[in-house]
Amino acid sequence: MITILTRQAGQQGQGRRFDTNDAVDFVVVGSGPAGGSVARELTRLGHNVVLLEQGKSLTQADFQHDELATIFNNQYCNIPPDHIQTWRKSPRDKAETRHYLIYAATVGGSSFHYAANYWRFRPGDFNEFSRKGGVRGAAMADWPITYDDLEPYYSAVEWAIGVSGQGGADPNEGRRSRQYPMPPLDVTGPGVLLEVAAKKMGWRALPAPMAIASRPYNGRQGCHNCGFCWYFPCEWGAKSGTNFTMVPEAVASGRCELRSECKVRKVETDDRGRVTGVVYFDKDRREIRQRARAVFVCANGAETPRLLFMSSSNRFPNGLANSSGMVGRHLMFNGNTGAGAEFEHEVNGWKGAPVTRIVLDTYDLHDKGHYGGGGFDFRYPFPPMLSALNTPPDTPQWGSGFKQTIQRLHSRAAQCWGHTTSLPVATNAVDLDPQAKDSWGLPAIRVTYKEHEADLRLYKYMFDRSIELLKAAGATRTWGQAPGDDPGAGVHLLGTCRMGNDRRTSVVNASHQSHDVPNLFIVDGSSFVTSGRGQPTLTIQALAFRAADLASQKAKRGELG
Amino acid sequence: MHMSDSYSRREFVAAVGSLGAVWLLADASQRGEAVAHAAHQVTQAQPTLTVLTREQAAEVEAFASRIFPTDDTSGAREAGVVYFIDRGLSTWAKGQVPAFNEGLTKLRRDVGAKFRGQTRLSALTPEQQDEVLKSIERTPFFGQMRFATIAGMFSLPSYGGNRDFAGWKLIGHTEAMEFRAPFGWYDDPANRRTLLGGDA
Repeated sequence: MITILTRQAGQQGQGRRFDTNDAVDFVVVGSGPAGGSVARELTRLGHNVVLLEQGKSLTQADFQHDELATIFNNQYCNIPPDHIQTWRKSPRDKAETRHYLIYAATVGGSSFHYAANYWRFRPGDFNEFSRKGGVRGAAMADWPITYDDLEPYYSAVEWAIGVSGQGGADPNEGRRSRQYPMPPLDVTGPGVLLEVAAKKMGWRALPAPMAIASRPYNGRQGCHNCGFCWYFPCEWGAKSGTNFTMVPEAVASGRCELRSECKVRKVETDDRGRVTGVVYFDKDRREIRQRARAVFVCANGAETPRLLFMSSSNRFPNGLANSSGMVGRHLMFNGNTGAGAEFEHEVNGWKGAPVTRIVLDTYDLHDKGHYGGGGFDFRYPFPPMLSALNTPPDTPQWGSGFKQTIQRLHSRAAQCWGHTTSLPVATNAVDLDPQAKDSWGLPAIRVTYKEHEADLRLYKYMFDRSIELLKAAGATRTWGQAPGDDPGAGVHLLGTCRMGNDRRTSVVNASHQSHDVPNLFIVDGSSFVTSGRGQPTLTIQALAFRAADLASQKAKRGELG
Repeated sequence: MHMSDSYSRREFVAAVGSLGAVWLLADASQRGEAVAHAAHQVTQAQPTLTVLTREQAAEVEAFASRIFPTDDTSGAREAGVVYFIDRGLSTWAKGQVPAFNEGLTKLRRDVGAKFRGQTRLSALTPEQQDEVLKSIERTPFFGQMRFATIAGMFSLPSYGGNRDFAGWKLIGHTEAMEFRAPFGWYDDPANRRTLLGGDA
């Protein structure tokens, strides 16, 4: 028997202290782009919140230019032995241990270390199914909301956290109610090369919208171009992640307690099928129950469905909020293609922001026989080790020739990255492994994933265009290959608790409220119906702002009982 | 590895996954221990070895010095790669000592297979060392040593290698906390104007 402790107020946590026996207005699970934003918005709207995060709360003083720990040891992420995953290609296979899905496990979630590409979706992303039809083997559907529904929240996020960009530069972007609060970041070498390439191709290089402050903003430093950026936490505090923005604001409101290193294992329900709170393991791995009037699950596209499955009960035998059977399904990563190139002069892409220019002329490739589309950037955000490990395969891999190659390429290489649609396939899924457990004794995440053939064709098309772009920019040599049918890892975790108006085919309604449990809200990458074109985080955050707003209205009207 | 815009980019996976990167990627929580150890070492005039015997260290250094030879610029020897590997094996990669020892034992046989009567890579000429390495360059041990050498050249000096940032200096990387535009040739305003004409 497990004894569930009552946590005494003041034991741990940051900000206001709440007693575990007193039902707070909301418990929010996860402090990333979704959960951190929900907590901030709910407190701003007058609600009391307990914010639970499985990872640590870290500050700038904890960060270093430490490539070995940050990138190769993945020290801020969901690494073994605490975090265990299994993977299989199809539902017929037995899963093997494989660390497939990567996400930050810290306050701030993925926004702690993201590259910070902050593209809005275009209006047509929300109804691509009705505009273009479906594709065999994919469960395409329209979103239950439109771009116009989300637009006020896009603008609110851009101003709340600080996004740098140039509204109006993209003639195909949706209506914009506000200009970006800051101008674009300083253009880098890779950015100029993309401008050159786009001009030759008859395309348009756009200033990249980035969630990095280009000048001091709300008391934070602007970017100092140190270059340890992509996949690094910001030593200057210039990245606009929720760890630097939303979470501190929520804590400072006097209405939020942040409890880090707390692993939620169950969302509890009563006889009426209403959520009553959550049970979690605290830092010392004691089980604690926090009561709440309503719960927001914002744990990411893998941990969110996992928590719902772990919250099954007699009343909800297939997992909480899962009467549709859609929890965990339609896992999407966004395709990613990469090609390398060498240039005549110094590029030095390891200085400055990871991305400063993008090309979106391939946003809609339906007329080229593809489903969806994508966009490109040029970058070289590689610290020395990654640089040394990314040399062209037909050059010496050790010895004096290898040294000379690295000496030349660290300053003269750039890569073209393509970012694409990925299709929602019902059998691509996250669920619980029947045997494997993590270090908390909880069932491990089991991933089932196989690329859709139409996506593989799209990746090939985008890779070929990448090589063309690099050559158009003047590359003296290019290398790389189109992605194969195993992406190797998933970082964008989308689609696993999709929104929809039909309770038979979706997990949450247009307000992110569970169809089955009215005081349970789910918002994060799992809410996505389709995958957009490769940069989901701003949309995750805008959905979170909107969900918090709507949940607050319902709570104030007494509709969550 | 991953990420989306984070790491998990496929090429990152390709880069790391195929090159024996698993070696030395053990327990990040022990980083503090490794750094404390290295800090202790720098207070001594000459760094010392903890896990590797003198003979093993000579073999490791000979191996690493063919991955990054000392020519007109610094190599693995000047960067102290052998001390990085020793630190790793005594701290965060402790669990990999048996596999590492096995690899070095096998190396003796590989040396003997190429040069009858020889067992020590470090006793061979550089040209002979290259012949041995060429004969094993597709083995996992070679991949692990290559990765460890790259890590020892370029990870922070606090881990024991990259002495005085020798690796970073070699490729023109700096430890600066700040850069100002222009960062390279292409984003220099005059060059950008030339390249783009009226569009700059």
